[in-house]
Amino acid sequence: MIKVTIKCFSQVKYALGENELVLELENGSTSSNLEKIIRSKANGQLDDISLRIAINQHYESEDTELKDGDEVAFIPPVQGG
Amino acid sequence: MIITPKELNDQKKDLLIVDIRPSNQRNETPLNGINSIVCENGEVSNIKEKKVLVCQYGIVTEGLIIEDDLQNTFSLLGGAEAWNEFRKEQKDLSQWSRQTVLPEIGIEGQKKILNAKISIVGMGGLGCPASQSLLVAGIGSLHLIDNDTVSLSNLHRQPLFSPEDIDNKKVIVAKKKLSKLNPEVSIKISDTFLDEKNAYSLLSNSDVIIDATDNIKSRQLIDKISKELNIPMIYGGLYRFEGQVSVFNVDGSPGYSELFPDLPSAGDACADAGVLGALPGIIGNIQALETLKLIVGIEPILIGKILIYDGMNHTAKTIRL
Repeated sequence: MIKVTIKCFSQVKYALGENELVLELENGSTSSNLEKIIRSKANGQLDDISLRIAINQHYESEDTELKDGDEVAFIPPVQGG
Repeated sequence: MIITPKELNDQKKDLLIVDIRPSNQRNETPLNGINSIVCENGEVSNIKEKKVLVCQYGIVTEGLIIEDDLQNTFSLLGGAEAWNEFRKEQKDLSQWSRQTVLPEIGIEGQKKILNAKISIVGMGGLGCPASQSLLVAGIGSLHLIDNDTVSLSNLHRQPLFSPEDIDNKKVIVAKKKLSKLNPEVSIKISDTFLDEKNAYSLLSNSDVIIDATDNIKSRQLIDKISKELNIPMIYGGLYRFEGQVSVFNVDGSPGYSELFPDLPSAGDACADAGVLGALPGIIGNIQALETLKLIVGIEPILIGKILIYDGMNHTAKTIRL
């Protein structure tokens, strides 16, 4: 098992009710696996929200295998101005 | 008391000019076109004539006059640096002396700011503070683009507007209010929403485009034009207590389409999600700050990075794109 820290921003934070989560995942889990878990925890509140993923403060456009201790941020687009 | 280089130039015959700088500064930056005497700080109070004290940037002399309660004494605003610039260009930059004293800005940086042309798309929560800060910083010309009118629900986060402005066009009210802050700035207004047909002509004469819009389609359009014209885009976005800022498309650096490809879905805009009134002031001012840094050439800057500021916990996260 690996342990990753999830940083929650904007809509993700409100959907999960947390600024930060620590989750244990199976070895070999990827960023898209984690996104599915996050979306399922949000009970539908993120269904119409696009999410971009950053691992250890670096934006990742490809599905990426996660390592123990990684910090993963989900970044939604925001409309307000 | 303060005297500007222009005022000193007009009345220098009646004033004794006292240069209190150390010899190395006097030798490196001699006062041009004016007779002065040299005096160490401690002796200045012995000079009873009406006088002007000169230091390098006009800050030491202001403090000296207050500390020693010097009478009949002026401090030259902006100091020797501003005076020599005035003599050279007949342009008084002393108004920005607290900026030009910064080694990262200096007189040359201020000149870049004074020559810059900035377009701001959207005069709402982000556009109001960004335009105010850029204007007072000395930006040469501003182009404000928006077709919206002021409404009561705008007032809590758009401090350029007052209750009597309700139902009036934002760009017209904004120009009127901003002109009072700095009458010398050229403010152009376009009373229209940005669209595919007008975007190119509206934005092509800009050095920097500030994205202060409130919807993703406009952000994508600005990003597209920004890339095509190679004009940097300063992105800002808000959600409740959070804001995002980035500097996009600087000589091929990542833009909005690299951060959010295709047509992303964001859910609610400000009006639906809500936003605490003070937050746009913070984010709009960060956009103005990054704009000034970009114009002057100061690093580090948010090129290839997105800043996510959380006003609830006061945390800021910078993510590399």
